[in-house]
Amino acid sequence: MPKLHQTPVLFAVAGALFVPPAAHAGHAVGQDGNWTFGGFGTLSAVHSGEKQADYAANPLNPGEAGATRDWSYAVDSRLGTQLTYNNGGHWSAVLQVVAERHLTHSWTPKVEWANVQYQVSPELSLRVGRIALPLFLSGDYRKASYALTSVRTPVELYSSLPISNSDGIDASYRWNAGAVKNTTQVLFGGTSVPLSDVTRVKAHKLAGISNTSTAGALTVRATAIEGELETPLLQELFSAIRQFGPQGEVLARRYEPDRKRATVLSIGASYDPGEWFVMGEIGRVNARSMLGDKTAGYVSGGYRLGSFTPYTTFSKVVANTPNRVAGLDLSTLPPPYAPAARRLNMELNGLLSMIAEQDSTSLGLRWDAASNAAVKLQFDHVRPRSGTSGTLSNIQPGYRYGRSFGVFSASVDFVF
Amino acid sequence: MGAFSMIRKLLCCLLLALLAGPAAAAELVVVVSARSPITALRAEQVADIFLSEATRFPDGGEVVALDLPIGSPLRDDFYLKVANRTPALMKAYWTKRIFTGRGQPPRELPSSQAVRKLVADNPTLIGYIDRSALDASVRPVLVVH
Repeated sequence: MPKLHQTPVLFAVAGALFVPPAAHAGHAVGQDGNWTFGGFGTLSAVHSGEKQADYAANPLNPGEAGATRDWSYAVDSRLGTQLTYNNGGHWSAVLQVVAERHLTHSWTPKVEWANVQYQVSPELSLRVGRIALPLFLSGDYRKASYALTSVRTPVELYSSLPISNSDGIDASYRWNAGAVKNTTQVLFGGTSVPLSDVTRVKAHKLAGISNTSTAGALTVRATAIEGELETPLLQELFSAIRQFGPQGEVLARRYEPDRKRATVLSIGASYDPGEWFVMGEIGRVNARSMLGDKTAGYVSGGYRLGSFTPYTTFSKVVANTPNRVAGLDLSTLPPPYAPAARRLNMELNGLLSMIAEQDSTSLGLRWDAASNAAVKLQFDHVRPRSGTSGTLSNIQPGYRYGRSFGVFSASVDFVF
Repeated sequence: MGAFSMIRKLLCCLLLALLAGPAAAAELVVVVSARSPITALRAEQVADIFLSEATRFPDGGEVVALDLPIGSPLRDDFYLKVANRTPALMKAYWTKRIFTGRGQPPRELPSSQAVRKLVADNPTLIGYIDRSALDASVRPVLVVH
């Protein structure tokens, strides 16, 4: 079957590349087309005190801090470039390519966005192609870390839904209600993310609405997104569980990750009058499977002293469903089947213990060292909870549950 | 009418004094074309236009902002006073807008004179210039202290 989800992307890339460059500048403003090239990048080094697992900012971009390496450059480091074309009228196109570490252990640059925009009026714009998902307060620009005060967005919330773009269409409308300026965005699309060289997780029929309101120094963003996940993982486990009759069927249906409707609801606010800022956000990500139903949030604040910004964050994620279940009822099974059922129960509970429950406290300092570069130092005290391994990955055999650890990060973010 | 012209002179002096502001501070005026129907704007309205948060004048006409070069003292002063943002915060602001594909910063011109010249010719444009560059071709709509 053709990869339908890539069609809008190809269309947009073609659009971005083959729109003929307009005549050189020199006409009146807004009359001529123009190309803009820019980019962003982060170079970071991260050290984790937990040596039996790896600390990562995002499950799709695994860091290697802890078990794999003493100091990892893979947690936050990335390079992004962006080419924009504006025809001087209603049309524009953007192509953004980002190189960062992927689950497939490569740093191959990937097309983050490729879309064509038609500005119907100053208020209404339509886009088609690969588009940023309007997730969370900083979801659209989290990869351009220069725009963040901290080294990275809080992992408890942002790694709950690691995808950052969707292939499809969106419409964005600006409107004012008194002194409150609003932008409402609706989107429809889908996405496909490689988990390994052979497996991909796909989201179909992604539909979402997001509204951002600003009034003076206050910004509030609320988002609701729903989609159907196609996660061809653990099929053997769930077909084995199904061998155990009706109770196996019920259990498999409840926890298998494939063909499940996933919902994300989030609301966040920031207040930034200039000399200081506070922000907070809460979101619920429900995958209706062993991937979990989680609620996560954080509060963060900072004070700007010249080119230095000390900041602090408290962040937390909890599971709304049990991290441990009874599983198949062994007492109703003929004794010879019990050991197999017990093994499946253990396997299922092993998966459920990976649904993150964790909180962390961070202290950091941002230094705007140059006009387009910022140096950041950050210390996180991370506490995985409720017998889970939190947001850690690459759990080693000697990992001890319930142990808190420290993470130290130093990064340089730049834009050009 | 002696009294009338007296009042006019007084008002003129007052306006000049207002435009001049404290002698030591940089003197910035936000200008539109003398042909524009716009006569005055509030600092928040100007900030919205320069931050691409608003794409129309309060009367509904489309508006395009013109900027001075990055690093120019006038520019730093303008954003600090009108938008309460340091150069680093402005850079972070545009990083968010650019790398979400949601717009580009205003076009930059080399000097107050260059801004005045373009603004004078086009009622959809708005710029900020050094008060000393002010002439009859443009209308000040906000004095930035």
